[in-house]
Amino acid sequence: MTEYVIETKNLTKKYKDKKVVNNISMKVEKGKIYGLIGKNGAGKTTTMRMLLNLASKTSGEILLFSDKPNKGTYRRIGSIIETPGFYENLTAEENLKILSLIREDYSKENIDNILKTVSLDDAKDKKFKDYSLGMKQRLGLASAIIHKPDLLILDEPINGLDPIGIKEIRQLLKKLSKEKGTTILISSHILSEMENLADVIGVMDNGQLITELTKEELYNQLNKSVDFEVSNLNKSTLILEKIGLTNGIDFKIKQPNTIHLYSNLDLRDKINELFVKNGIKVQKIKLCEENLEEYFTRTINPKIEVTA
Amino acid sequence: MYNFIQIELMKLKRSKIFILTLLGAIFPSFLLFLSAKFGEFTETISLQTFLSLVNMYMSLIFAILLFTIIMSYLFGREYNEHTLKTILTAPTSRGMFILTKYAMFLLWILLITVITCISGVMFGYLAGTTGFGMNVVLDSFRELLFTNILLYLTFTPLVFITLIISNLVPAMIGGAVLTFTNMIVASSKYGIYFPWSCPYLISSGEILEYTTNYTASYVIIIVTFLAGLIISYAYFRRNDIPL
Repeated sequence: MTEYVIETKNLTKKYKDKKVVNNISMKVEKGKIYGLIGKNGAGKTTTMRMLLNLASKTSGEILLFSDKPNKGTYRRIGSIIETPGFYENLTAEENLKILSLIREDYSKENIDNILKTVSLDDAKDKKFKDYSLGMKQRLGLASAIIHKPDLLILDEPINGLDPIGIKEIRQLLKKLSKEKGTTILISSHILSEMENLADVIGVMDNGQLITELTKEELYNQLNKSVDFEVSNLNKSTLILEKIGLTNGIDFKIKQPNTIHLYSNLDLRDKINELFVKNGIKVQKIKLCEENLEEYFTRTINPKIEVTA
Repeated sequence: MYNFIQIELMKLKRSKIFILTLLGAIFPSFLLFLSAKFGEFTETISLQTFLSLVNMYMSLIFAILLFTIIMSYLFGREYNEHTLKTILTAPTSRGMFILTKYAMFLLWILLITVITCISGVMFGYLAGTTGFGMNVVLDSFRELLFTNILLYLTFTPLVFITLIISNLVPAMIGGAVLTFTNMIVASSKYGIYFPWSCPYLISSGEILEYTTNYTASYVIIIVTFLAGLIISYAYFRRNDIPL
């Protein structure tokens, strides 16, 4: 039986009359990385805040580790919500000591190790207020994972990190998920990272979870196409119509000399052969595939045409 | 609770506000010392009088400002430095968090009281006061301690305001307004009904100039304390934590 670490049932949050989170029923499977994507104000952060008891829910249900949230379940969670908050007059080490004392598991060795993991061991004696944004994010991540949680809730954890930092954090999260079985709920605006990292993607818009799909399902839903750059567009169109394809549905003419094939992609070899046989020069054949960003734009705002 | 107090003390490391409030606790004695040195007093005064004046200036003017700074720093910094979301998800119960803050506030006030008293004795000595004796010092300390504890009890509504506004500046302005109001009201017949004047009037015995019945003033302090405590506790427990 599938074990879910996070389950929400019709989770709703209202501010005055506005529903910022609207009837969300979400399931995050144990050991998986669940990527939550959506525009600003889509409700991602509010959802995470409700999961962490930082915001109260208006209605609905939250189950964490198949249980109603309590102090015991929160001890098993590590989190970052937007920019990490630490005491500015204290060093990284002192800030982590405070959190460890609250959790009653203080160990200097543990703090040293975690600072090494997030590459802050050289800056552990620097005051938090003197940290760069990237260093603050790293410290936030250190505080989220120092107690070896079973669940990580990370809202924009790679904000402000440089490409190397992003890569390091990605590798760390993947390692935690694969080796320790840590379940991760993560949101980010860097969709290429989410595509790279997440096993399951949830798309939120206007407070609603509009779609939830595994990576495999996502790849099946991504639009694919083949572009033929040809010497004679009219003749090429006639050939395609002759084999039963319809202009505007199966393919589209893209000026100045490209045919954009949406369906029957497996026929691309045969089509190429037909073009050549009929004296049409095929200058280029290009297989195009939507990425998560394009899929997201198409899903959230279908009016915007996304060209693959 | 001990663990949480220890954590609160750690948070004060390298804190400029902490140092500033300790200096503030010395200020009334220092001002009186200057007055004595520059001949404001026509004759030599006793240590008892010197310490009574220190207590009066401290209770009616400086304490309210100092306590406002301490209170708004203790409660407000968690909002300003965005640490609430980190601490509460550690996890810490909201009830324990706010009770620890109240306990730390009291502890800080006790420290301020001790420093005011010690500085009073030191500057009193430097000002050439007479009548030194342990009893004089202990009596003065007891009076100031009693005043400050009563004053502490009246600060719970201000904690509530700090939780709502979650910013240091409005709380400071509020503290200044309260100080000036206190200075005006304390010497009037309404002082015994003003929560922030009552503590000094009760502990110094000046209340007897206006009434023989202390009950109304005590009731006002206790009602102020309970009302502020309950609403601040309830507000903090129920309200969403800002990012």
